[in-house]
Amino acid sequence: MSTGDTFLPRRTAQQPKLPPPVKLPPSLAGDPSLPYPAIGTELHELRLQIPGVQGSVLGGVDGLLIAHDVPDTLDPDDLAAMAAATFGLGRQVSLRLGQGQFRQSTVRNEAGHFSVYAVGPHALLSVVGADAINVARLHLHAPPVAERLAKLLAPA
Amino acid sequence: MANLDTALKDAMTIDGAIGAALVDYTSGMTLGVVGGTPEIDLTVAAAGNTDVVRAKMRTIEMLKLNDEIEDMLITLGGQYHIIRPLTGSNGKGLFLYLMLSKTRSNLALARHQLRTIEEQLEL
Repeated sequence: MSTGDTFLPRRTAQQPKLPPPVKLPPSLAGDPSLPYPAIGTELHELRLQIPGVQGSVLGGVDGLLIAHDVPDTLDPDDLAAMAAATFGLGRQVSLRLGQGQFRQSTVRNEAGHFSVYAVGPHALLSVVGADAINVARLHLHAPPVAERLAKLLAPA
Repeated sequence: MANLDTALKDAMTIDGAIGAALVDYTSGMTLGVVGGTPEIDLTVAAAGNTDVVRAKMRTIEMLKLNDEIEDMLITLGGQYHIIRPLTGSNGKGLFLYLMLSKTRSNLALARHQLRTIEEQLEL
């Protein structure tokens, strides 16, 4: 069996053609130019307006905390990260179904709710609620809050 | 026996009816809505009245009355709002919400008709 002239030419390793890395906007977290008092008021108002809201967190889509209004029993950094994870799943679903931008996602557990609302394209508002929370009222009230928060974040 | 759509349609045939909804008071969301006006968003009314129903149920519980709500009447300047929790085993946690024009309705008759609709409603 002769293999003398059937050797394949030696190939050099090829670099796969990758698109240039995406330029990500700087993280909103830790930006000192944001209007934190106004953001804090919005988050605080949400807790006052709807009975059953235990706390709310404003985070970036990168999972980093921007501002929060939660009691000591909840970890705001964890909530911001979980919001980003929820957003990731929501975005994949929306991309696959061709349904546009992510808007809102709610997880209902045995003893409570966790809702995530899109705040513009780069931030997320997450709300932790008791089981007895009036979800319909939250869904009516939170999107305008998210819209106002998006305006507050816009100049940044 | 009537299904949800028929029941809501029947509710709209009550004299003076402006709008009707079947609402889940554990979440405040509506299972069905008919009527309403451009100014009156029945989903907003449903979410708000969920708090009314819950507050009254809690009060009855706190007073240890060991009873339940048959219906609730809220009288406005120009409207009647009737809330009727469902009593059937498959209607737990739901209430019917009916908005009536005060000038065009007969309250006693409307209340009677709403009771009939509620009794016949099957989900």
